[in-house]
Amino acid sequence: MKDIRADFPMLKKYPKIIYFDNACTALKPQSVIDAVVGYYTEFGACGGRSSHQLARKTNNKLDESREKVAKFVNADPEGLVWTRNATESLNLVASSFDFSQKRKVVTTVMEHHSVLLPFMKLRDQGKIDLEILPCDEYGEVSMEKWSSAVDNECALIVTNSWNNTTGGENNISELSKLVHDNGGLICVDGAQGVPHHKTDLKGENIDFLCFSGHKMLGPTGIGALAMRKEDIPKLKPFIVGGGTVMKTSTEQAESATDQTRFEAGIQHYAGIIGFAAACDYLSDYGMENVEKLERTFANAIVSSIVNAGATVYGKHNRAGAVCSFNFKGGKPHDVALMLDKENIALRSGFFCAQPGLEAIGAASGAVRASAYIYNTLDEVKKFSEALEKVSILYG
Amino acid sequence: MVLCIIAFFVFAVMSIFSAKYRPLAKEGFRCVFRTIMLKPCDTGMDERIKAEVVSKVLKISPTLARFTNKHFTMIAWAFVIISLGSMVYSGFGLYNFYFYGNCDGPEAVGACIINDLTGDYGRFSEPTDLIAPTNFDGIVAGNPEANITIVEFGCFTCPYTKKAESTMSELLEKYNDSIYYVFKPFPLPNHQNSYEAAVAVLCAERQGEHGKHFELQEEIFEQQEVCTSDGSLAIKQLAQDAGLDMNAFNQCYDNNETADQLDEYIQQGKDSHIYATPTFFINGKTIVGPRPIEEFEKIISEES
Ligand SMILES: Cc1ncc(COP(=O)(O)O)c(C=O)c1O
Repeated sequence: MKDIRADFPMLKKYPKIIYFDNACTALKPQSVIDAVVGYYTEFGACGGRSSHQLARKTNNKLDESREKVAKFVNADPEGLVWTRNATESLNLVASSFDFSQKRKVVTTVMEHHSVLLPFMKLRDQGKIDLEILPCDEYGEVSMEKWSSAVDNECALIVTNSWNNTTGGENNISELSKLVHDNGGLICVDGAQGVPHHKTDLKGENIDFLCFSGHKMLGPTGIGALAMRKEDIPKLKPFIVGGGTVMKTSTEQAESATDQTRFEAGIQHYAGIIGFAAACDYLSDYGMENVEKLERTFANAIVSSIVNAGATVYGKHNRAGAVCSFNFKGGKPHDVALMLDKENIALRSGFFCAQPGLEAIGAASGAVRASAYIYNTLDEVKKFSEALEKVSILYG
Repeated sequence: MVLCIIAFFVFAVMSIFSAKYRPLAKEGFRCVFRTIMLKPCDTGMDERIKAEVVSKVLKISPTLARFTNKHFTMIAWAFVIISLGSMVYSGFGLYNFYFYGNCDGPEAVGACIINDLTGDYGRFSEPTDLIAPTNFDGIVAGNPEANITIVEFGCFTCPYTKKAESTMSELLEKYNDSIYYVFKPFPLPNHQNSYEAAVAVLCAERQGEHGKHFELQEEIFEQQEVCTSDGSLAIKQLAQDAGLDMNAFNQCYDNNETADQLDEYIQQGKDSHIYATPTFFINGKTIVGPRPIEEFEKIISEES
């Protein structure tokens, strides 16, 4: 495999730092940075509005970007809506979904706050009935639990495809079959899943897929909601304004029928183009290679943590190289800061998933190491040594 | 929380010199402020300092690092207390420097340092600067014919001059015939009512009745604190108690009739480069401060 580290300017700038905070956000390759800058230096105009040559050129680039990002998750470009991030995509689904026929939503305690909060808000407003499924000690929710909760009253289930605390994986195909059999729909939080394994919207029968560009080598401030194009008119517009309508008088506005009904105002063009460049990069690298590497890192990181005498949350054998842990008697922030002194950059706290962390026995938070394609086994070795060193302070 | 208090002070001082420290001082301040408002310090500064310290210690000794990590809050508190203590101490030093001309206060030299910030007193500070006086006027005792002359420049409201007084009495008793003792009042400008006390003693001396002025002098030393704070009121009361003719005394004191005499002594003190009281010249050899009697006796025996 070619050495991709050279593609990442941050790795060159900080050669000593081991970046293990990829579940929070990923570093960007030069091609993405160039694509972002390229919008301002090459295109620079409005998309979908003006008709001069620069606008046409911009428009073509934006269409092409939409196609690339949609294709990356095997969705139709006509069903892909630009948002700011996974959180906004989730909020869009929560606030636009029609709960007038059925009002039951099922989710799990292991979700990110970006899943829990929008739906808890609807619950508190009396708009939905929300069932939050508990998990086992590994942070997993069994198919039995799902089956007993999902009945024909269920309008929607919302869950992540990959977990941001345990690196655990949900079987989305199975879940979508379950909910579809009961006449409901599935909304997948793909913030972690899309960057780290092959996501197939059509193949897995996902109705709504929410993801962010920044966790998959793309720019910050750009995300997407992918769905089938037939479902677009079913969702009520969320934020309205320029670009979301076909016809407007002061008496009435007629919403656009395509995805632009959700894309109010001038979009983050540079971000969109950068997002597409990130998808290109990952596609070139091969998502099957990403998956393989994830497993290798997951195993190596989990072993390092176990060897250092710390507790790892979730199953040891996991798909994602996302490993949360704690030293007995060590405050997560303190441990993270000690590791920072060893040039290991990782995250500590609740990872925006406090109920989940409490459910798996990390009520005071945890430390999280997460790897991505540009990390190396040598870095994991250094991480392991640093952990050994820090472990002296505890136990 | 604990460390941010120190951090705030340290970085606040450092930020005076370098802008680099200003954000840190700000962060420290925010943390201190939140602590005062009984809210948790949310800047993470404490944790960062802890990690910094522990990782440094870890390089030296794992056991020590472990201990530091475990008892960090306690260590931090100890550090805060020590730092606050040393800050107070430094403040005290600055105060002393301003009022006494040295950081350690009056005790340090064991003499009353002249600190005349605006005047022309006390421009010297070393024993080697001193020049023995050639004039033996003053409040005198002992044998004028003696081979040994002790000249003392002293201030009646200086605790060290007071301290030396008993030594002088003892010497006079012991070597009465063989020493001549000359006391030159040298009121320090930084001592309250020192001038008034000197005037009082000189006025008492004028009344000629032998011993009365010594009695007043003794009483002024005895009641030094009251004289310093209450000035003329207390001094006159002591004069009355000493049995002086109060009409004559008031006449002399209120009109400052001894001004010329006193100014002469002060001028002699300045000429001798006096920088502290009491200063003694024993046949030209100098002693500054109320030194033990043995030091005086040593010079006396050398000179006799
Ligand atoms: C599982 C999961 N869902 C949602 C999000 C929210 O992503 P964003 O902050 O990009 O909206 C994250 C990010 O941490 C995540 O890990």
